[in-house]
Amino acid sequence: MNLIVMPVVIYLGSAFVIPLLFRKNEELAGKFTCICTFLAFVISILIGINVFSQGRFISFAGGWENPVGIALMVDPLSALFLIVCNFITFFILLYSDTYMKKYTGRIYFNSLFMLMLAGMNGVLISMDIWNIFVFFEIASISSFILVAFGLKAEELEASLKYTIMGFLASTMILFGMAMIYGLTGTLNLPDIAFALSKLPPSHLWFTVALLLSGYILKMALVPFHTWLPDAHSMAPAPVSAILSSLFIKIIGFYLVIRVSLNLFGDIYQIKTALIVLGVVSMILGGIMAYGQQNIKRLFAYSTISQIGYCAIGIGIGGYLGYLGAIMHFIGHAFSKSLLFLDIGAIEYMTGTTDSNDLEGINEQMPFTTLFSNMGMFGISGIPPLGNFWSKLIIILAAVKAGYFGVALLSVFVAVLTLGYFLKLLRNVYYNKPKTKEEKKEAPLGLLVPMATLSFMVLFTGVFLIPSIRKTVLDKTVGVMENFSYKSLHISETDESILLEE
Amino acid sequence: MVIYLLVALIFFIGLYGIVAKKNIIKIIIGANIVGYAVNLLFIVMGYQWGGMAPVLTEKTKPDEFYKLAVDPLPQALVLTSIVIDLAFLAFLSALAIRLYEKYETFDIEKMRRLKG
Amino acid sequence: MDKGMSEIVKGISKIVFPFIILFGIALVLYGHINPGGGFSGGAVLAGGFVLLLLAFGKDYVFKVFPPKIARLIDSLGALGFLCIAVLGFTGGHFFYNFLNKGRLFHLWSGGTMVFANIAIGMKICSALFVGISVLSMARLEKKENGPIYRQSGEE
Repeated sequence: MNLIVMPVVIYLGSAFVIPLLFRKNEELAGKFTCICTFLAFVISILIGINVFSQGRFISFAGGWENPVGIALMVDPLSALFLIVCNFITFFILLYSDTYMKKYTGRIYFNSLFMLMLAGMNGVLISMDIWNIFVFFEIASISSFILVAFGLKAEELEASLKYTIMGFLASTMILFGMAMIYGLTGTLNLPDIAFALSKLPPSHLWFTVALLLSGYILKMALVPFHTWLPDAHSMAPAPVSAILSSLFIKIIGFYLVIRVSLNLFGDIYQIKTALIVLGVVSMILGGIMAYGQQNIKRLFAYSTISQIGYCAIGIGIGGYLGYLGAIMHFIGHAFSKSLLFLDIGAIEYMTGTTDSNDLEGINEQMPFTTLFSNMGMFGISGIPPLGNFWSKLIIILAAVKAGYFGVALLSVFVAVLTLGYFLKLLRNVYYNKPKTKEEKKEAPLGLLVPMATLSFMVLFTGVFLIPSIRKTVLDKTVGVMENFSYKSLHISETDESILLEE
Repeated sequence: MVIYLLVALIFFIGLYGIVAKKNIIKIIIGANIVGYAVNLLFIVMGYQWGGMAPVLTEKTKPDEFYKLAVDPLPQALVLTSIVIDLAFLAFLSALAIRLYEKYETFDIEKMRRLKG
Repeated sequence: MDKGMSEIVKGISKIVFPFIILFGIALVLYGHINPGGGFSGGAVLAGGFVLLLLAFGKDYVFKVFPPKIARLIDSLGALGFLCIAVLGFTGGHFFYNFLNKGRLFHLWSGGTMVFANIAIGMKICSALFVGISVLSMARLEKKENGPIYRQSGEE
């Protein structure tokens, strides 16, 4: 089945066709991107059906076999991420067709967005460590430019901070890859796993530290989180939505899973480090969110808090921990993108996102308030919406593995999350406005994507019905638990290639 | 062994430039120097003492080639890495020009409008 | 920047420019036999055009190589590379080398690599030229509220 490269080809092709064809007519560029994303979503569903029924699929680019070729692989974890990513981006692009009317230079926005999507999809399908790095860089650089898109003073400053820290992350990852190449002599992930398993673990700590620090910086756990509140609060609304819900997960969370679980095997120290960083992120994100005036900045701190939950899920391990982390990813992706699109709609109609200036949104924009409610209750974990199931599973996993302190802190932070969202609802949405200004409801082009995403928030729990869970989620968790890249290694001769100085 | 110390020295000089300097142009130059250090590390990882260039012509003998040739794979990786650093440099330069227009200075201590 | 440099610089760069272009084209075309290829050949070609930009001023160079045509070549180069990759499906795999590979160590021994190198060379040359020319068109005008960035010339 040769379809696995098709999403990347579609996105790269459309990124270069848009400046050619649509320079005169900028309206059509937005609709063209929606069509391309829909095509990619259909293809990823076909890939998903094939993979979930028949197991992982490996192919090589150019027909060059092992050990020379560049390997591509789709297994159930990648297929799940592909489907969720393309689904959410289709609706975000449908939203941005209407939202970006207030910005100039929309051709460059669409072209850069397509490049970012090409990078994110490319990370999901490749099994070669250099290939992952190249797509990672394509996505990162496009996101730096998109954050600075509005060209106001604060946006440029936020993008500067984000760029310098992203550059340091890329440098750390490059150092880690140079160490891996020096130790093993190959770039193919199964061969690397096989060669690294023969070395004593004391050789590996420096490499593990470099690689993980680079990926954790992009995932925004606590000591490395300082770029996130500025970047996500100052970007335009569709860019904030995709950065906060999908980019951090795919570029950070997915690659941490791949590197720490499948490549290095089950190492106890990495998991403990992830639990500690996750707990600190949860608490810090929750506490800092109380003092924020800018609503988007509050949502950005909430993202840091929820990413801490995912990190705890991986750190605890076992079937329940991994299941909780994956379901938390799905639920948070839908609800956080819905929240950022809501704030974008409010900003589109009133022009500000400061919670001191906005009041009484419920009376003028009732539908937007309804969708905001679903998003906020979805994140804080009110049953039966989105993240309730995943938080329950993570707390059960923590209790079962003996981490009672972690379970207690998870419950505390869940209450904290509900606290700041309720405070936001009372101060901004359900007030009586002092001045009688006429604000109208958001236009239909903004409402339809928000309605669909809130519908999906309502039904995230459907993944736990046993028949769906056996086909989709059990296989995904099986990849995280049992699969190591070592098992794909084809050994003709039994020597690992070590380079001498 | 001395080569690896040189790589570490260049990396820390660049890192000092990013962390300790206040002018934004000096930060960009520091970022460039960090990029040079990483590329140097890649090339040094693939070096063979007394080596020859990994180019096959009609006159090379195969045994001598396999024993003495320098590894060509890190050279391809370094090409890609140089292009990525060039993209960073181009974007940071454009960002610096726009920042000068908005804040009227190149000093990053005066660009503090985002707080909290 | 608008008027260019002195007469000596203009005279010498007039002589040197064709050799730079020739060297760049040789790097691109012989990429599969000698060290070189798309990236380095494209960078050398862009260097030649930037030499013209510095020596003669942008008014003259934008008549020779206008940025609109540079953007067109940019997109066409990238699309050409993607087409070569997708056409590899006729051989069975993505990015497969499906053309006739002639005699070893001669010019026509690369298959699709020659066309890929040409596409990348065109793209890198025009992309670097557009990038440097846009950065060089920035002018700062003093107004009452502070400096304002103005792009002089066409976009």
